[in-house]
Amino acid sequence: MHSIRRLALLAALLPGVALALDGRALLEKVDRNLEPESYEMTRKLINEEPDGKRKEFILYSVKKGRGNVAALFLAPASDKGRSTLRQGDNMWLYIPNVGKPVRITSLQSVTGGVFNNADILRVDYSEEYDVTSAQEEGENYRLDLKAKSGNVAYDRLVLTVDRKTVLPTRIEAYAASGLRVKTLHFKDIKDFGGGIRRPATVETDSPLYKGYKSVMLYAAVKKREVPDEVFTLNFMSRLEELRK
Amino acid sequence: MTRRGVHGVAPWVGAAGPCVAVLALLASAAQAADYRFDLAEIEAKPWELGGFVEGKAEHLRLAPQAALYPLSFGGAPPRHTLDRATATLELAGTFKQGPFTAYGRVDGIAVTDALRTNSAGRVLEAGVRASPTEGLSFDLGKQVQRWGKGYAWNPVAFFERPKDPNDPQQSREGFVMASADAVKSLQGAVAAIGFTPVLLPTSGDLNRDYGERGHGNPGARLYALVADTDIDLLWAAKGSRPQRIGLDFSRNFGSQLEVHCEWARAIGAIRRELAAGGAVTTRRSHLDSALLGLRYLTDNEVTWIVEFYRNGAGYDDAQLARFYDLLGSAFAPDGTPAQQAQASSLAQSGFGRSNAGRHYAYLRASAKDPFDWLYVNPALTAIVNLDDRSFQLTPEVVYGGWQNVELRLRAVWLHGKASSEFSAKPAQRRVEASAKFYF
Repeated sequence: MHSIRRLALLAALLPGVALALDGRALLEKVDRNLEPESYEMTRKLINEEPDGKRKEFILYSVKKGRGNVAALFLAPASDKGRSTLRQGDNMWLYIPNVGKPVRITSLQSVTGGVFNNADILRVDYSEEYDVTSAQEEGENYRLDLKAKSGNVAYDRLVLTVDRKTVLPTRIEAYAASGLRVKTLHFKDIKDFGGGIRRPATVETDSPLYKGYKSVMLYAAVKKREVPDEVFTLNFMSRLEELRK
Repeated sequence: MTRRGVHGVAPWVGAAGPCVAVLALLASAAQAADYRFDLAEIEAKPWELGGFVEGKAEHLRLAPQAALYPLSFGGAPPRHTLDRATATLELAGTFKQGPFTAYGRVDGIAVTDALRTNSAGRVLEAGVRASPTEGLSFDLGKQVQRWGKGYAWNPVAFFERPKDPNDPQQSREGFVMASADAVKSLQGAVAAIGFTPVLLPTSGDLNRDYGERGHGNPGARLYALVADTDIDLLWAAKGSRPQRIGLDFSRNFGSQLEVHCEWARAIGAIRRELAAGGAVTTRRSHLDSALLGLRYLTDNEVTWIVEFYRNGAGYDDAQLARFYDLLGSAFAPDGTPAQQAQASSLAQSGFGRSNAGRHYAYLRASAKDPFDWLYVNPALTAIVNLDDRSFQLTPEVVYGGWQNVELRLRAVWLHGKASSEFSAKPAQRRVEASAKFYF
């Protein structure tokens, strides 16, 4: 009888253990494990059609603090020299021929395909989302996130995080209507040096683009502090000057 | 393993045994290997060269009775159709050495149709930039200053050639000038401020198409990002053109809506006008131009661009109608050389500009990948003269699915009552197909 009481007490406490998981701290840990707060990186984006045909983009990006990201297109030739800038909820696109930076929105896509601007110019998840629940599920954590404002591209995210590495393996993105917009799959954990060990491949598919897939390949990620002026409209035409 | 590997290969494995399994693994590995990215692909070099070649074929339906026809096709027998082929080569290059960057952009265009065959080359940009810090740069040479927030028109673009609202993203030729750009990031509601002084001298052949010679033409732009809103204050001193002041702003509201606005005043500008009796008068006044626009992305990924434009230097429908009637009389069989000279002079002084009216609306709806057709972007653009209700409608389809290739098919249809702006244009219908290859 005593044992049964103990078991009942333990069972009653288990949900409390799950609730005790600090979702916010866990999300911030995920953010830092994915990227340093300030960095430079080079990525290749591949949009693949159902017949295997591909379109590839190479982007050089710098990030500073929690909300500033700038990216420069290095390839293909048709997009070379374009740059994008994000300051919090503000986003701009600079096209060399057009000249002046124009404002763009997070749901548009400068590359086409499944990735949108919010994916390409991603800031920390903890910057844009609140954790509504955090649970342990076998070898993973499950984090349910809710957008802090209507300016955020996705209303809700569900993160599956590997407990051992504290890195995401899968993120499902939902619109406010409840519709699943896309799923991101994180793969191929790689050591980039400088203590950065993260997935080198992010694949995205979407029920809205059946059969289509977009892939992001990370070739270089390293800590770098650049001046604040890099994240201004005036510097968008000069981003190339940062590359060494 | 890729999605194709999972869905296309795995079912074979169980059915055909270990050999097929090995083949499947090899195929899968080969597919995965395709997703390689070698940094050597994009090694930073001191020099870079790129550009594009474009071939375009156009079929034009001409209206010999249209008022502006004699100004474009005068001297040749009237025609109702014209086929034209255009080839364009544009080259752009940079060379970096320490804080200095030399840059240039040139193009060459060859055009042939039944009436002419010619070619021309232009230096669009050519200059040197010194960038001592990320927040400061100096430019000297031929450059394109792009001021303003509007998509189709920019009333505050004081130091540049006007955009073509039919193709706002087309390359434009710059002016020779000296400019600097200083920007500082800040903490708080004002997140950044920037200052861009400009000097555009006109002397001899230098910038002769900017205006009257013998002026330095200084100007400046003060930029601030205040409470998530881009704000510019702009000024151009009196010189080759009248003094102008302006402001613009742009702001995002949510993740789908952007709103922008421009206002400019030309102080003491001189404008030629055509009185009811046909007399040409000159009037000095302040000309106010303004633009209000928005860009909205719908849930099904249709981007709407809507702009309303008040052209301070433009003419109302009555004045434009008088001008078109004057053209009609001047180039009629009994028109005199004096009438023709007056009409041509008025055309050059502003009546003959591509958008010479006073009030316009611009509407563009473009869909991204409709019906799951990736890289197919259809669009419909309308430019309406709100005073005389004439308009231009441009449906188009752009395909960008092949790396570095852009295919475009578009039609242009003009409509309006007699003596209205769009009915006066010589080409009332146009179909064009173009292919652009970037390298």
